[in-house]
Amino acid sequence: MSRGLKATAAFALAVLLAAGCAKGSATRESAPDGKSTIRYFTFSAAPDHLADLDKIIKAFEAANPSVTVTVETAPYADYFTKLQTAIAGNTAPDTFELNYESFVAYAASGALADLSGEAAKDDLSVYAAKSLDTFKRDGRQLALPASYSAVLLFYNKDLFDKAGLPHPTADWTWDQEMAAAKKLTGKGVYGDFQPVQFFEFYKALAQAGGAFFSDDGKRATFNSPQGVAAAKHLLDKPGTVMPTVAQIGGTPDYDTNLFKQGKLAMWHNGIWQFAGLKDVPFQWDVVVEPAPVKASAVFTNAVAVSPGAKNPAAAYKWLRFLTASDVTARTRIDSSWELPPLADAKAYAGYFDQGPPANRRAILDAVASATSPPVIVRQQEMQDTVTKALEQAAAGKTPIQKALDDAAAKVDELIKQA
Amino acid sequence: MGNRLVYAALVLAGLVMLAPFGWTVLASLSPGGVVEWPPGGSLGAYGELLRAMPFWRILVNSVVVAALSTGLQVGTSALAAYGFARLEFPGKEAIFVVYLATLMIPMQVLVVPLFIEMRSLDLVDTYAGLLAPTIASGFGVYFLRQAVRQVPRELDEAAVIDGAGHLRVFASVVLPLVRPALATFAIFSFMASWNAFLWPLVILRSPEFMTLPLGLANLHGQFTTEWDVVMAGSVVSVLPILAVYVLAQRHVIAGVARTGLK
Repeated sequence: MSRGLKATAAFALAVLLAAGCAKGSATRESAPDGKSTIRYFTFSAAPDHLADLDKIIKAFEAANPSVTVTVETAPYADYFTKLQTAIAGNTAPDTFELNYESFVAYAASGALADLSGEAAKDDLSVYAAKSLDTFKRDGRQLALPASYSAVLLFYNKDLFDKAGLPHPTADWTWDQEMAAAKKLTGKGVYGDFQPVQFFEFYKALAQAGGAFFSDDGKRATFNSPQGVAAAKHLLDKPGTVMPTVAQIGGTPDYDTNLFKQGKLAMWHNGIWQFAGLKDVPFQWDVVVEPAPVKASAVFTNAVAVSPGAKNPAAAYKWLRFLTASDVTARTRIDSSWELPPLADAKAYAGYFDQGPPANRRAILDAVASATSPPVIVRQQEMQDTVTKALEQAAAGKTPIQKALDDAAAKVDELIKQA
Repeated sequence: MGNRLVYAALVLAGLVMLAPFGWTVLASLSPGGVVEWPPGGSLGAYGELLRAMPFWRILVNSVVVAALSTGLQVGTSALAAYGFARLEFPGKEAIFVVYLATLMIPMQVLVVPLFIEMRSLDLVDTYAGLLAPTIASGFGVYFLRQAVRQVPRELDEAAVIDGAGHLRVFASVVLPLVRPALATFAIFSFMASWNAFLWPLVILRSPEFMTLPLGLANLHGQFTTEWDVVMAGSVVSVLPILAVYVLAQRHVIAGVARTGLK
């Protein structure tokens, strides 16, 4: 190797090393002029709402010139792997997002800073009280609610009109829903679609008037008669008014496409579907789910501060802005990016009149009867256990009562082990 | 007759292997990712892919990272393989067993300790941190050692008599003869780096460092996913590795043919 070549190679290596060790934009900490940098980790922004989040950050930085916010994103399915590693490695982001189902485990493990001190200096009446309380543990505010989505009954108006049936209303019962579904099923059209899984079950259980856990939270009680009724309500649908698990065959978004093609009359799904249904060639609307006892699934995301955050006051300020500022409320509503957890319905100004669906106010009915998912530290295992029991019963392998008894026993174990 | 049956069976097996890829292509061309007959011909998902993420930057990242990781692994593994196959030193067998043992430890177990190690080296969120754990490969050392042991020692001895040292023997005699093994291992390590998800997910933070699997995963939302866009991304991400495979495969065949002539 000639001397010139060697020198070039050495230089190239040096450049490569320097470039290889350079930190990325999300990690650089040398903020100029005594500015402090807040890292924010989120799963709900990518892929569709990065620009919306950026708008909120810009507004926050304009109002707080001494603080810079850097964003890291990860897809929901992998978010918690990354967050756990970062926490274990002592490099947790200053602020991060959590959904309600994982909040409990993180709160129990001490990974969330107590915000009560900052909150006491602040007026939190802008938040809906219920959503604020959801993220309190032992009187400590461990996270701020950031957004929520509700599950409603979607229905295809054209199919109802063609069959000469009255549209579903807020006071429908399960029997009315089932009777209509049966009349609407046929000629390539399915009457109803409600997945057989944990999240539908806990809600159906509440709608049947049952409780998932005993009052002290130490025992699973979903194998009660109400639990059996709830499971029956779900299991009656596949094969009669809805395709079976075998027909769906794991096809992603099977139900979404069925509804979009006008081949589904009623559909239990969340308001996150609104944006995707903008251009369907038929009339549709939503209504709060039919039930003996009104109860609706509401999914809430929250944001928290890491105990190791370098500037907790600035971190809190950022989260307060991110969750409850006018800019955020407007940005969320304009872009259908879930809903802000605010008390004053005026914050939604315009949202209810956006249509379709015309009856967006059904969301308020859902919130009024909101039922949070049952949560334990070993959440994922519990969800899988319940879903599997329901599938066993759906396949006719186990009688409903026995499947629920077995699942309840397993969940009792999970509660004890945590 | 027998040959025909064999060919028919092979073609059938080939088609079965190809079916998921065919499905991926069809789904990427169908709005909503729902494959119907006749198949859709919409390229909208590919345009959406470019809009949803800095696709070219991500592609370049993946190519550079995979190429560097492959080069480093093949280099270090070949050197170590030569050492284990040809040199005598105390504790050789024991050290080799330790190398083999590393093959039994799954990545999931290593993630947190590795992450803490990278943090103390201050390499979190850097290309160097992404590459570091892939510089040495227990599998590569094992695989190439077997190949080096197949090379007749007489060839080394002839070179030594001609005055060659270990480095010369390694570079001029052994390496050319184990080329098929090198090519095979290069394909393995390129694929491993190309498909790597867990480690890049954990060690990288900045969007400009993202590799393809991370970019594709980012297309999944909390509640909904645009499957046609995910499929379009998958199609594009398969193409470079297909190219690498076709190129390296020619080397494999050439290597086999040459040694067969001897």
